[in-house]
Amino acid sequence: MIRQTTYDRFAHDITNRGISAWLLAALLTSFYLVLYFTEGLTPVAKAIGLDSKWTLYGLIYTIAVVAGGIFVIRRYRHNKYQVVRTCVVMFVQSILAFALPQFLKAIHQPEYYFSYFWPLKLDYLTPNTIFHYPLPIILYSFAGSLILVPILGAFFGKRWYCSWVCGCGGLANTAGEPFRHLSDKSTTAWKFERASIYTVLGICITLTALLFTTYAIGPKHPDLAAFTYKFQSFYGLIVGTMLSGVVGVGLYPLGGTRVWCRNFCPMAALLGLVQKVGRYRITVKKNMCISCGMCSKYCEMGIDVRSYAQSNQSFTRASCVGCGLCAEVCPRGVLKLENVSAKAPQQRLVQITSHRSEMNHSSLR
Amino acid sequence: MHHIIIGNGVAGITAALTIRERDRSAQITLISGESDYFFSRTALMYAFMDRMSLRDLEPLERKVYDAQKFNRIRAWVTNLDATTRTLTLDTGQTIQYDALLLATGSRPNQLTVPGAAAVKAGLVNFVTLQDLESLEKWTKLGGKAAVTGGGLIGIELVECLTHHGMQVDFFVREPWYWPAALDKEEAAIVTGHIRHHGVNVYLEESVAEIKSDTAGKLTGITSTSGKQYPLDLLGVSIGVHPAIEWLTQVKTPPATKRGILTNPAFLTSLPQVWAAGDCAEIELAQGKPLVEQIWYSAKRQGELAAKSMLGDSIAYQPPIFYNSSKFFEIEFTTVGQPNAPGSETFFHPFAGAEASIRITWRDSAVTAFNMLGSRWNHEFFERWITERRAPQYVIDHLAEAQFDGEFCTLPLAEAQSNFNQSRSPR
Repeated sequence: MIRQTTYDRFAHDITNRGISAWLLAALLTSFYLVLYFTEGLTPVAKAIGLDSKWTLYGLIYTIAVVAGGIFVIRRYRHNKYQVVRTCVVMFVQSILAFALPQFLKAIHQPEYYFSYFWPLKLDYLTPNTIFHYPLPIILYSFAGSLILVPILGAFFGKRWYCSWVCGCGGLANTAGEPFRHLSDKSTTAWKFERASIYTVLGICITLTALLFTTYAIGPKHPDLAAFTYKFQSFYGLIVGTMLSGVVGVGLYPLGGTRVWCRNFCPMAALLGLVQKVGRYRITVKKNMCISCGMCSKYCEMGIDVRSYAQSNQSFTRASCVGCGLCAEVCPRGVLKLENVSAKAPQQRLVQITSHRSEMNHSSLR
Repeated sequence: MHHIIIGNGVAGITAALTIRERDRSAQITLISGESDYFFSRTALMYAFMDRMSLRDLEPLERKVYDAQKFNRIRAWVTNLDATTRTLTLDTGQTIQYDALLLATGSRPNQLTVPGAAAVKAGLVNFVTLQDLESLEKWTKLGGKAAVTGGGLIGIELVECLTHHGMQVDFFVREPWYWPAALDKEEAAIVTGHIRHHGVNVYLEESVAEIKSDTAGKLTGITSTSGKQYPLDLLGVSIGVHPAIEWLTQVKTPPATKRGILTNPAFLTSLPQVWAAGDCAEIELAQGKPLVEQIWYSAKRQGELAAKSMLGDSIAYQPPIFYNSSKFFEIEFTTVGQPNAPGSETFFHPFAGAEASIRITWRDSAVTAFNMLGSRWNHEFFERWITERRAPQYVIDHLAEAQFDGEFCTLPLAEAQSNFNQSRSPR
């Protein structure tokens, strides 16, 4: 039952796919179309003294993350995990993903974003782009993408990136917070997610390999080079522009905040695979679940957490970004995010079932 | 084999899934008068507060019912004839079973005070989907509500009504909130928390008389202290009892006392008829007959009753008691039997937090844990009770059982040093 105040009626409408939600989705989508495909925002940027529409976009994005972050910290102020995580997200966005690149640009250095890595940012590993940067940045970029990202993923799960550092996750977990419950929890959505996200990852790796090959032998094979660069710009349009921007943020009010992260992001796909073999998991306290479903409802990745909790299965799902909201909203304290080491005392009692082989959502035990 | 299960609550659905797991070909029929699909009754409060939709309360995807080949019938059973193994439904349909499970759950206890019989509207319980509908009808922003009954459902109802902007009076008959589970100190923390949310809590006070207008709409109550309270809504949460009233109308009722009597294998006095969950009263091999009315016991009993129906030899022995709850924002875990005569207890409230721990022991073996405002893995407590661990051992190993989230761990050292000081010779 909706609380009978004007505010609550509106809040319900906009966060439950009402008319206002459709309007907001249309507004967000239009904003991204104007941003990507027109110069409509350039005069606006100039008018407030910014050098380009991209700087304006960065500023708006940062304001959204910081304002949303303050809202989230207020809402979950009793939960230190949420407070710390949100502070980090706000810091990374405002400093690493906005102030620092702008500063570098101002001192005539390359505008480099230290919080982004391959394969999310394809350009940061591929030779035709990264080799234009100074050597320390090239080293940082290679070490970050190929060593730091997977190693931290193995120890802490993909959450260290997806819900602590990444800008896409940052916006989802701050300004997007009121829409998190809209993610589709059905097994059909899970099947789609697996098919689509690994397809994008496959395409992304293929393209990366092609770009390296072209870099090595391109001058002798102009056809290959032409094909590769066309492929790259097509990938940029579909994945970078349409899926991560227009669909990813535009659909917040209709499909939840992680449409991009869940279904398309190649970085999330790769980190998910690392997570499956790493230490991170959600531990389920045995026989304490009351099947209320708050965990599933508020899972932004559409994981049916309840199906694991009610059948006493600790689990690691590739898609889990470790936002910790399932554990936060659980009224019986059944769930706990952990980086499990063999010595952990909980290990002695809690049986791990890493992952069920089938998509069987029919068990209560 | 045609297995029929009356009641699609957690006991019934767990039984159905257990039967299906073992017998792919059995015919399984679930009958419910309340809902088309199994839903989580424990989450009704979240639907009431709009944190979830009714559909979100369903723990199983709807396609599971077809995949598991469960027949679902939405009807109330009006007759049970064990001589012909036939059920009659309120739709007029008759249906035959080979094995029948009664999992009809509980019904809320009603007030019998003067005026109660005349009330037709505004007097509500909080147990069924239908209760939710009637609650939503009488809930209004700025209205006045009272809840009587200091247990778990009562506090959930108080939270919901407060959320909806009603001024709530909470009547607790006992000297403190929920003495069945909480000691005075914990109850004081909880009561303070409830009051902080703007609720008037009246201890040792309950409803003496209900007043209604000529149309039968509730207008207010008189409390046991003689005070008048004008009301828009009165929530009654003074416990539940096994749902057995319907059995008095049937041709061959099973034997009942408080609930439907069963043996330790959940078999009732009728052949091929079992009972499990809140409605069952189990005559254990040892000790008093047992009526268990919480989510966990219903799930456990549903599974075991199904196994009994499949021919397994079952002798029910309830495990060490445990339960959990949440009072507004304060979580609570209890394990074991507190308040046992002759027991000693260590209580530590954490400074600056609405959190406390209580460890109880007898003959230097721990017997119970009452933990407020933090998260614990009850399996450790159960193990320590089974192993008859000394309180000192438990205090020293307490951290192992902590289940608080990352960065949120309760500072146990404070409690440990308090314990060691209290135990050291003066």
